[in-house]
Amino acid sequence: MARRPSRRVAEVVVLSTAMLTFISFWRAAAIVLCDMASTAWYIGGIAIQAVGPAAPWFILAVMLFSGCVLALYMEGSSMFVRGGVYKVVKEAMGGTLAKVSVSALMFDYVLTGAISSVSAGQYLAGLLNSIFPHLRIDWHLSPALFSCFFAVAAVLYFWRQNIIGIEESSEKALKIIWATAGMGVVILGFCAYTAATRGFTWPTTELSFSHESLGWLSGSDWPRRIGALGILIALGHAFLGMSGVETLAQVYREMEAPKLENLKRAAVIIFLFCFTLTVSVTFFAVSIIPEGEMPKYVDNLISGLAMHVAAPHWVNLVLQVMVVVVGAAILTGAVNTAIVGSNGVLNRMAEDGVMPDWFRHLHPRFGTTHRMINLVVALQVATIVLCRGDVYVLGEAYAFGLIWSLVFNAASIVLLRFKVRSGREWVVPLNVKVGAVQVPIGLSAIFLILTSVGLINLLTKKVATVFGLAFAAGFFLLFLLAERFNKGKGRGEHREKVNLCNEETVEDVLKHVEKPNRVLVAVRDPNGLHHLARALENLDDDTTQIVVLYCKIQHGMSFGGDIESLGPEEEHVFTRVVEAAEKAGKSVVPLMVLSNDPFYAIAQSAQAVGASEVVLGSSGRINIENQLERLAMTWGALQKADQAPVTFRVVQKGGAEMVAEL
Amino acid sequence: MPPKEGKPPRDMPATKTTPPTKTASVRKTVRVSSILSEDLVTIVSPAPEKIVLIESMVRGLCQKKGLGDPQPFLAKVFEREKKISTTLDTGLSLPHNPRTERESGAPAGSDPLSILSNIFASLAVIPGGMADPNEKDIPISVMFLFLSPDRSEFFPMHLQFLRTVAGLFKPALIAEIVKAATPAAVLETIRKAEK
Repeated sequence: MARRPSRRVAEVVVLSTAMLTFISFWRAAAIVLCDMASTAWYIGGIAIQAVGPAAPWFILAVMLFSGCVLALYMEGSSMFVRGGVYKVVKEAMGGTLAKVSVSALMFDYVLTGAISSVSAGQYLAGLLNSIFPHLRIDWHLSPALFSCFFAVAAVLYFWRQNIIGIEESSEKALKIIWATAGMGVVILGFCAYTAATRGFTWPTTELSFSHESLGWLSGSDWPRRIGALGILIALGHAFLGMSGVETLAQVYREMEAPKLENLKRAAVIIFLFCFTLTVSVTFFAVSIIPEGEMPKYVDNLISGLAMHVAAPHWVNLVLQVMVVVVGAAILTGAVNTAIVGSNGVLNRMAEDGVMPDWFRHLHPRFGTTHRMINLVVALQVATIVLCRGDVYVLGEAYAFGLIWSLVFNAASIVLLRFKVRSGREWVVPLNVKVGAVQVPIGLSAIFLILTSVGLINLLTKKVATVFGLAFAAGFFLLFLLAERFNKGKGRGEHREKVNLCNEETVEDVLKHVEKPNRVLVAVRDPNGLHHLARALENLDDDTTQIVVLYCKIQHGMSFGGDIESLGPEEEHVFTRVVEAAEKAGKSVVPLMVLSNDPFYAIAQSAQAVGASEVVLGSSGRINIENQLERLAMTWGALQKADQAPVTFRVVQKGGAEMVAEL
Repeated sequence: MPPKEGKPPRDMPATKTTPPTKTASVRKTVRVSSILSEDLVTIVSPAPEKIVLIESMVRGLCQKKGLGDPQPFLAKVFEREKKISTTLDTGLSLPHNPRTERESGAPAGSDPLSILSNIFASLAVIPGGMADPNEKDIPISVMFLFLSPDRSEFFPMHLQFLRTVAGLFKPALIAEIVKAATPAAVLETIRKAEK
C-alpha cells in the first residue's frame, strides 16, 4: 500500500546563544561591585597622598555623587536594554563621538583589569613574604614578578569563566562580594569598637595638595586661592571610587525580570555597599591609624586598620590575613568586571558594524562572543607584562577613561531628554516644566559636575592626560579602521548570532527545557511579536519555559537534511525574539522546524514539549477563528490518548486576545 | 505640577499594555455517534467532486433534520472552504460553517445557523478516495460535514467538536470504516471506537 503523504516536521533545530541567559540583581550588583568596591583597598591612600588628611570628606562627596551617576545609568538603561555609553552617545551625538567615548572607556577597562590583578598579586606577595619567616621558610618573593604571574593567572581564570558565560562568572563575583561583605562587617565592627573605646577624631577639612597632585597647576596659586577649584581638584583625585559603574549598563541586558525593578535594586545595593565600605574605611583610617604609621599603610588602608584596631595582636594578624585574602579576591574580581563590561561594549559596537563581524562569532559550546573576550584578555595580559608589576603610571592614567566616558554619557542623556521624549521608564529626578519643555535640572547638574572634574583632571593629572589621550587615540584609530574595513560588507540592521543544534525529533527539544511547565509561542513575522511580548509579560519564569517556535515552510516531500545556517528571514525573526526576551529579562528556548504545514508543526511541537499553552499572533491572512479551528483539528489529529488539555491563545496587535481551552 | 521623582514626566510615556479580552471556554464535547444515524451516513463510490459531495450532504442533512432551505447553509460551508483547509493528512475532511464575525451582542437576525440548537452532522465514506482541490496530495477517505450554532458562546464547543472528530478519525479507524459495507457497519465501528 502506498504511503499516505503527511503533514509533518522534517527537521528540528534548537538555537542557542548566551544572550538568552539572565542573572539576578544580586549577581549583577556583585559584578559591578567587584570593581567599584575594590577601590576601597586603594582609593583612600591615593586621595590622602594627593590632598592630605581631608581626603575622607572628598571620598564621601564622590561616593554620594556615585548615587547620581548610578541614576544617570538607570535612565540610560531604561531607554536602551543594550545600552551603555556607546549606544547612548551614538543616539545623542552620533557615531564618531560614540567611538571617542568608547575609546576612553576601553582604556579604562583594559587598565582596570591589569591594575587590579597586579595590585592583588602585590598584596598577596606582601602577605606571603611576611608569613614565610613565621613558618621558617627562607623565601622572599619579588612582589613585581609574583604579581605579574598572579595577575596573568587571574586574568586567564576569569577569561575562562567568561568564555563559559555570565552565569558562571557572576557566580564567582557574588561569592567574592559575600566574602567582602563579611570582611567589611568584621573590620568595621572592630573599628566601631576601637572608636568607642579610644575615641574618634574627625578628619580636617583643610586641603593640602602635594606637588604631583596639582600637575600642570603646581606652579600656580589658584588652587589655594580659589576654593571651588581646590575642591574640584580634590574631587578629581577621589573619582576613581566610581570605576566600574559603566558595567551596570552592560549587565542590564543580562538582568532577569522584572528588569527595571532589578536595576533599581542593583543600583541601591551598589551604592550602599560602596558608600558604607569606602567611606567608613577612609574615615576610620584617618582616625585610627597613627599619623606616623600612615605612610606604611597608605597603599592599603584596610590592612592598616586591621593592624591598629583595639584587639590582641594575634587578632590583628588574623584580620590582616583576611583583609589581604579578600582584597586579592575582590581585586581579581575587578578583572571579571572589566571583561564583562568591555565585552558588552564591544558587542554593542560590533552589532552596529563598527567591529568586523568575525568578532561576533559565538563559541560553539557556550554561545559566548569568545573572540571579543579573547581580544580584551589579550590586551589585559599584554598590559600586565609590559607594566612588569609597576602600577603607578597605569594607576594614574586610568582615571582618564572613567571620567571622560562619564562626561560623554551625561551629556548624551541630557541631549536625549530633548531629542527623544518618550520611551523612558525612569528618569533622573529634579525636572522642572517650563512651558512645553521639561528642563532636566538634576541631569544637567550631574553633567556640569562631571565636566568640571574632567577638565580639571586634564590639568592636574598629567600622566592620565598624556597616556589617556594617547591610548584613547589609539583605540579610536583602531575602531575607525575596523569600521572602514567593515564597510561595504553588506551589513544592514543588526542580526543576532546564534548556534544551531540539530535534533533528531521534536521530542529531543525537551533536553533543552528545564522548567516543569511549558508555553509554546509560534512566531513568523519579525515585526509582529506582540504575542511573544504578552506571553513573556505573563510568564512565571521560575516554573515555566517559553519555547519559541519558528516554522520554516517547505513544500514537496523531498525536503530534509540538517539546517546548517539561518537564512536572512530567520535571522531577523530570531534577532527580534532575543530582543523581546532580553527586554523582559526572561529566557526562551528558540526552536526552528522545517515543515510542510505550520499548524501541524505547531501542534506537533507543542505536544512534543508538553506545552500547556500555545500562543499565536493574529494573522493578516487568516482570521482568528479559522486559526483556532485549524489548530483544534491538527491538535486532535495528532493527540495521543493521554494528552493533557491545552489552552490556545491568539493575541491581536491591539492586545485583545481569544482563548480556547481544549 | 512637576513629575513625580523617578517616574517619567508626562511627555515621556512609559509602555502600557491593553488588558486582554477573553472568550469563555468549555471542555465538554459531543459524542460523534450520538449525532449520526444510519440515514446520515453514506458510502460514496465512485467519488464525485468535493464540491458536489458537500452540496449533496448539506441538502440531505437539511432534509433529514428539517433544517429548511439548504441554500444559506451551503453558502456558509462553501465560504469556509475558501479559507484555510479543512482536510487533515489522515484523509479526513471536515467541512463546516464558519463563525460569523459580529460585534459582541449584535443580533444574529434571521441567520438560520445562529438559531441552530445543536450540532448536526453527516458522514460520507469514500473507499476509493476523493481529490481535494486545496490539498492535492491528500486523498479524502472520509468526509464529516457538520453545521454548528453560529453563536459566540457556542464557539468553544465548536472547537472542541473539531478536535474530537479529528482525534476520533485517526488512520486506523479510517482504514476500518472504508472497509465497512453498510452505513450501519460504519456507525457501529465509530461507536466502538468512541467507547
